[in-house]
Amino acid sequence: MARSFTGKVAIIQFPGVNCEYETADAVRSVGLEADLLRWNEDPVLLEDAIGMIIPGGFSYQDRIRAGVVSAKDHIMDKLSELAGAGRPILGICNGAQVLVESGFIPGIHWERVDLALAPNVMEDRDGYYCSWTYLLRGGTDCVWTMAVGAEEVVPVPIAHAEGRFTTDDGEVLGEMKKNGQIILQYCTQAGQIDPAFPINPNGSIENMAGVCNREGNVLAMMPHPERATWLRQVPEDLGGGWGTKRKKAGGDSGKMETAGPGRIFFESLKRWKEGDA
Amino acid sequence: MKTKANLWVRLKVIDLVAQTAWMTLTEKMGFAGDLCGILRYSYWAMEAEGENASAVCEAIDREIRMDSAFTNQNKHLYSLAVTSGGDGAAAGDLSIDRDFPRVKCGGRIFACDLFVSEQGGGKDEGYASRLNARLSGAKVTGMKSGEVWRILVRAEDAEEAARKVEEMAVTRSRKHGLLLNPHYQAFEFIGTAEIDGQ
Repeated sequence: MARSFTGKVAIIQFPGVNCEYETADAVRSVGLEADLLRWNEDPVLLEDAIGMIIPGGFSYQDRIRAGVVSAKDHIMDKLSELAGAGRPILGICNGAQVLVESGFIPGIHWERVDLALAPNVMEDRDGYYCSWTYLLRGGTDCVWTMAVGAEEVVPVPIAHAEGRFTTDDGEVLGEMKKNGQIILQYCTQAGQIDPAFPINPNGSIENMAGVCNREGNVLAMMPHPERATWLRQVPEDLGGGWGTKRKKAGGDSGKMETAGPGRIFFESLKRWKEGDA
Repeated sequence: MKTKANLWVRLKVIDLVAQTAWMTLTEKMGFAGDLCGILRYSYWAMEAEGENASAVCEAIDREIRMDSAFTNQNKHLYSLAVTSGGDGAAAGDLSIDRDFPRVKCGGRIFACDLFVSEQGGGKDEGYASRLNARLSGAKVTGMKSGEVWRILVRAEDAEEAARKVEEMAVTRSRKHGLLLNPHYQAFEFIGTAEIDGQ
């Protein structure tokens, strides 16, 4: 029987990614179907998918620069076409790097590379950094944040060495702000924007953690929502309501399998699919 | 005495990053007719003070061989050249002026050395302090670090070669440029020479 993505979310599997299976599980956790599509399969298969996710990992071993080799792959032609037609696309971590290197994000000049995800700039250290962060939902409408309340704070973990959103084009930055494309910003537990490490864990300009395209269907986010999809993934000592909830659920396997904070990004896609715009 | 010291380091074995660049440029980006070969080096351009070029070369050479942030003799080849006016000294097992990949096309071929570094200096200060903490008989007073891509292209002249290399290297859009992102990286040509393709 021929493979079909009708009604499914396609998880794009570039060589070297390592978060594809848990991303598919995160999609399934909200009742949507998901399946993997290898980068060298026929991209026409994507035409019936309800959306696409480029997961985290190290596509092409991060050779040359994280995400750039995948950005040149043939399959990105089809993603470009579908994104232009309004189909939702989410890039998580390495997937975000692919979307930035493809010029889909910020996408003000489609496919022009107007941003970079540069090496982290951190206090007294460099390289790879893993931590839980707090994200403030700002910006305007985006498919992937539909279920997140305005000004809501969502804890989600990061794990990257090149996650610093930056641009040397002041006009592009101005446009992004004007368009409300800075949809997720690193913040304190209370929702305050503080540019200092570790609140801003990588030195991103404007504390950017997630940037949407102008049309609101493509999102590049460095944090990993699929690693915060179940309550059991939340650390007990995480500050705020989610940590307390996790602590109270200790020993109760039923509660541990309930939703974690990152599931809301996948819930957003479901809400979009159901037409609750 | 003020000197200039250039350190080039590359892998002894096949460089998979350079191979990936080759395949991406030729198979996905349409440069199969123009790109004739590619190599990648780690590169440090230093200014250093010492008694003379030979003394500076000897001092720096002793330390870079002991510190894997610069070279690891199990896996790297390197070339260190120190100059001061007409005076010069060299060390290492790599002959940088004759280090070219196997040429994979015909016509006039130019080798362009493209230095790519992080805007704002990146790790330059760290490298300088690291060396100065151990150097005796010399002091590093200036440091620029990054990668050099030695790119062999078929071109009519050096200007055309530089233009083609810039097209290959500087990422302006999804379909244009691979080797650096100008929003956080800088580049400069530090050498261009016509080579014998045979």
